[in-house]
Amino acid sequence: MNVLDINDLSIDFPTSKGVVHAVSHFSLSVPKGRRVGFIGESGSGKTTTALAAMRMLAAPGFVAGGSIRLNGVGGTDLLGLSDEEMRRVRLRRISYIPQGAMNSLNPVMRVETQIWDGIVAHEGHVEPGELQRRSREVLAGVGLEPHVGQLYPHELSGGMKQRVCIAIGVCLQPDLIIADEPTSALDVITQRHVMQTLREVQDKIGAGLILIGHDMGLMAQSVDDLAVMRLGELVEFGDVRQILENPRHPYTRELISSVPLVGGDSFLDSTPRAPEVQTDTGAPPLLEFRNVSRRYGAVTALHPMSFRLDGAVPQIISIVGQSGSGKSTMGGLMLGFNTPSTGEVLFKGQDINALGGAAALTFRKEVQAVFQDPYACFNPFYRVNHALKFPFKRFGLARDEAHVTTAMEEACVAVGLDPSLVLNRYPHQLSGGQRQRLIVARALMLSPKLLIADEPVSMVDASLRATILKNIHDLKDKHGISILYITHDLATAYHVSDYVMVLYHGHVVEAGPPKEVIGHPQHAYTRLLIDSIPWPDMDRDWGSAADARADLEELDRISQRPETVYRGDVPGFHLAQA
Amino acid sequence: MADHSTPNAAGAQTPDLTARQIRRMKRFDNPWRNPKLIWGAGLLLGIVAMGILGRIFWDPDLVFTGSGLTRQPPVGLENLRGQVGTWAHPLGTDGAGRDVLALLIIGAPNSLFVGVLASLIGMSIGIFLGFSAGFIRGRVDDVIRVLSDVMITIPPLLILVVFQAAYGDISLTMMAILIACFVWQSPTRLIRAQVLSMRESGYVQMARLSGASTMHIMFREMMPNLVPYLFGSFIANVTTSIVTAVGLEVLGLGPQRIPTLGRTIYEAINSGALIQNLYWWWGIPTILLALMFIGLLLINLGLDEVSNPRLRKL
Amino acid sequence: MGRIPASYLMNRAITLVLTIVIAATLIWLIPRLSPVDPAEIMLGRMTAGAGTVEGSEQILATLQERFGLNDPLLVQYAKYMRNILFLDFGLSTASFPTPVSTLIANALPWTIGLMLISIVITFLIGNLLGALMVWEHTPRLWKVAIPAAMVFTSIPPILSGLLLMWIFSAQLQWFPLTGAYGLTVEPGWSWDFAGSVLHHGFLPALSIVVVTFGFWALGMRGLMITVQGEDYTTLAKAKGLRPRYILYRYMIRNAILPQITAFALKIGLLIAGQVLVERIFAYNGMGKLLYDAILDQDFPVIQGVSFVIILMTALAVFIVDLVYPLIDPRIRHEAA
Repeated sequence: MNVLDINDLSIDFPTSKGVVHAVSHFSLSVPKGRRVGFIGESGSGKTTTALAAMRMLAAPGFVAGGSIRLNGVGGTDLLGLSDEEMRRVRLRRISYIPQGAMNSLNPVMRVETQIWDGIVAHEGHVEPGELQRRSREVLAGVGLEPHVGQLYPHELSGGMKQRVCIAIGVCLQPDLIIADEPTSALDVITQRHVMQTLREVQDKIGAGLILIGHDMGLMAQSVDDLAVMRLGELVEFGDVRQILENPRHPYTRELISSVPLVGGDSFLDSTPRAPEVQTDTGAPPLLEFRNVSRRYGAVTALHPMSFRLDGAVPQIISIVGQSGSGKSTMGGLMLGFNTPSTGEVLFKGQDINALGGAAALTFRKEVQAVFQDPYACFNPFYRVNHALKFPFKRFGLARDEAHVTTAMEEACVAVGLDPSLVLNRYPHQLSGGQRQRLIVARALMLSPKLLIADEPVSMVDASLRATILKNIHDLKDKHGISILYITHDLATAYHVSDYVMVLYHGHVVEAGPPKEVIGHPQHAYTRLLIDSIPWPDMDRDWGSAADARADLEELDRISQRPETVYRGDVPGFHLAQA
Repeated sequence: MADHSTPNAAGAQTPDLTARQIRRMKRFDNPWRNPKLIWGAGLLLGIVAMGILGRIFWDPDLVFTGSGLTRQPPVGLENLRGQVGTWAHPLGTDGAGRDVLALLIIGAPNSLFVGVLASLIGMSIGIFLGFSAGFIRGRVDDVIRVLSDVMITIPPLLILVVFQAAYGDISLTMMAILIACFVWQSPTRLIRAQVLSMRESGYVQMARLSGASTMHIMFREMMPNLVPYLFGSFIANVTTSIVTAVGLEVLGLGPQRIPTLGRTIYEAINSGALIQNLYWWWGIPTILLALMFIGLLLINLGLDEVSNPRLRKL
Repeated sequence: MGRIPASYLMNRAITLVLTIVIAATLIWLIPRLSPVDPAEIMLGRMTAGAGTVEGSEQILATLQERFGLNDPLLVQYAKYMRNILFLDFGLSTASFPTPVSTLIANALPWTIGLMLISIVITFLIGNLLGALMVWEHTPRLWKVAIPAAMVFTSIPPILSGLLLMWIFSAQLQWFPLTGAYGLTVEPGWSWDFAGSVLHHGFLPALSIVVVTFGFWALGMRGLMITVQGEDYTTLAKAKGLRPRYILYRYMIRNAILPQITAFALKIGLLIAGQVLVERIFAYNGMGKLLYDAILDQDFPVIQGVSFVIILMTALAVFIVDLVYPLIDPRIRHEAA
């Protein structure tokens, strides 16, 4: 029996440039107890469709045609209900778990109160003791202790907040749960736990589930049926295994192939050259950490670490870790944006925090960076060429205006952009991918010795990630720039790097060549990270919520006494063994 | 929430939208064509124009005592003594025979002048302190932050009352400078907060990577992006400054020999104009001041909408 | 949890003390820098009253002695600060030898009463109206009427006071023109007196409410638009909560927090505005006291009134700061 029948649904948004058809002629049914995934990139209409089922479309959007029938209320069309009738359907019949795990809870209300008010809104007066019992029950159902109910949202971690949202969503045992990218703000380990929790409680109450997302891997691990949406249209629908193994629509194929895998074919077509073994040339190493640590008050972001990057042969060193692992702190220390609490950071044998005048300018020229957020890296006041032109002149590389222009154009071409289309635009006129490639082009123009790439592709649409990583990889191969690649994404680190360090709570827990560290992890944390990545592979078992919880407990144990597993050295880079 | 607007505008048609709806939505396209902003600026420009044109087409010497008969009503109205207003004094005269129109022509620009000058000085101090606090941080930041917290609590009017009661007559410029001592706090706080958040922004980090000097970062990278905030803060400060100045004048303080709108109201109240029903004497300056404040308010609302598009829906 | 962190309290207390010290110092310092001598003013008034004053030299010297004007500046400052700590501002020169503190004690209740009525009510009404401007279930009529009322928003209360006074007191004669209570009623705990006080206080309060509610309404409108877009509001709606409950417990409850901070910052200006309204309506509060003192060049009173008003402002800010962590659990967390 179907829980929900969407029939020929169309949703329009009037704008000043005319009506935009956000969703057109969309039909789909959700059977009881079944999990249906809606996948697509931003603007595909997947959230809009879900909001229409909640009758919560943002103005000025409206349903232009079709029907949404919910069988729990006698198969009536939801679009025909009065506001009060619709209010009674929400949460009781259809519950909605919104996107922003961080902000979905009222910051000034205790968690349990936010569960109670939902119950009271639908059942009228309920005895306080009964409310207490029920809130504890649903919290326990998502693996939270009873005392969590008395906390305020800011006292919870992101994963706990999202589990509270799930608890709210299931507290009245609805017929259908709509989860809108419920894990988008969480790291992979927490994501796995939250998704498993969601599946488990949904299974228990036997509700239908609509999971909205953009990650094919997550879908493969979480849903039964998959609906692929593009520009408001349903392009493919069917059993998830069938779609993954035999995608019909080219767009589906594109979505599947954009997920990088550990192992398998590299998305880099150039075969990495075997680094020539270089004997000690006597020159000081390009970058050296001597016993560097960084503390913020009582918190240690980075424990003392020492390494040496010779730089005679360009290499890509990956620093992998989750948020809070200290990886971005390391990036800041290398750029001199952050000063070490102990030890020193040396560039070509000189302490970078003791440089003055001309030496500081040279250091700036030779060490460049690509940051995570391509939207923030351009000053909105200037055309984008300001970001390329200014450092080029400042470092005395420009001979004259014409030279600046040619250099900019060449750099754009090298990263695959048409200079005439991008250079004279304002930042908001370009896409995230274009901007991030411009930042890479900027690094290329300045031809530094070292590039710090801090999560360069995490905010770019999946389809563009490979291209940008390829651009960065080219910097090493074609332009001889050494790169420190800071990322949370093990799959890309596997493909691009010559050496990988896995960071956990400011400690290096495993280090060595990527084929060893990521291909055959030995440390429990690395293994957990890799197991938690959702892959578009139906035959891989992602484990149950209990597994995920056990893994998290294991993680707690590790953080008490982290130890480093050394998986071998590569020439030109040396990590000191403690 | 990200899915609400599809970039699929190319295939869109324009069926059943009324012209009015389209016009309303067009407003979202160019934020500076904001009706509130235009009306507000128009009102203020009108007052400035009155000050300039008035000096050409009307005799400014009529602000002196005894320029005409006392307590004459405006044209077309009658006072308690049964006198009818004449074109010699179209807006009537006050208790000392000064021409009300001439008082407005001289007085209104004076009030604006005090507001703008005080606000300009206050902004300059605010920009200096705000950037210092945001950039140097540490002790300097602590001192500036606490000082502005403290000074924002003290109402300027009361300190100025003490000052002017002690010093007696002062010039317009002096009054503006004194008021400026109390309107630097909000721009300081605003700029400090913005600078602190901009420091961490991608483009400032990029500029640092490009070897930019501190001066370059402050004035070339940060300043242009502060303009809407600075402008909004400036207008808010003009309002506060004029309110303070008028407050002082209504208490009988402030410049004694220069006609201002506040002083005219002070004299009207003191001479019992309310009881004697000489409403034009205090009423016309009051309406002009009210128009000035409404103009400033409209500009401020307009600027808010320019910098925060979400407000633009009413 | 549940307790206000000590570092937060310390911080607020330092601001409070600094505010008082700086205000007191300014009030002391400014007249010292002026060429006008309070003793001479007083003597001048005696001369004006009596024609000539015998032995004016000695009197001047005695007065200067009395005002402590012959001590070294630092000693004067120390004495002044000590006295001010006990709210002793010396004697009024105009109504010599009444202590300034007595005059202030008589005027203060009127000002505080008017303030509680006008400023607090304005804050509540303004925020509620601002919230209604944004709420999707507000009746249509209100949605049109509230923005229209915004026209008054940034006019200072003295101007609205003048207009209201002219219309309702001078023209319609519904309300008395001046004073805080009628001349014919005896002050005391009687219905007559209370009625008279309300009758007299209505217009001054109204003139403040009419022009300042818009400030809060506009601020609230902006905050409500932000809160309306927050995920927790979306979830509240998705939970099927009643619209009114969402309005109060989710939207207003969160949007009001920055408004309370703004209230602390704005309170000084609001009190100053009220002082001017009192002067227009010749209301028996601090404003009238201040105005009369300015006319009489009565320095101790000017200093005393200014200081007490600043003290009230600083205390009000301090109280708001103390209450704030109780209504925003995040503050308690931050410093812990």
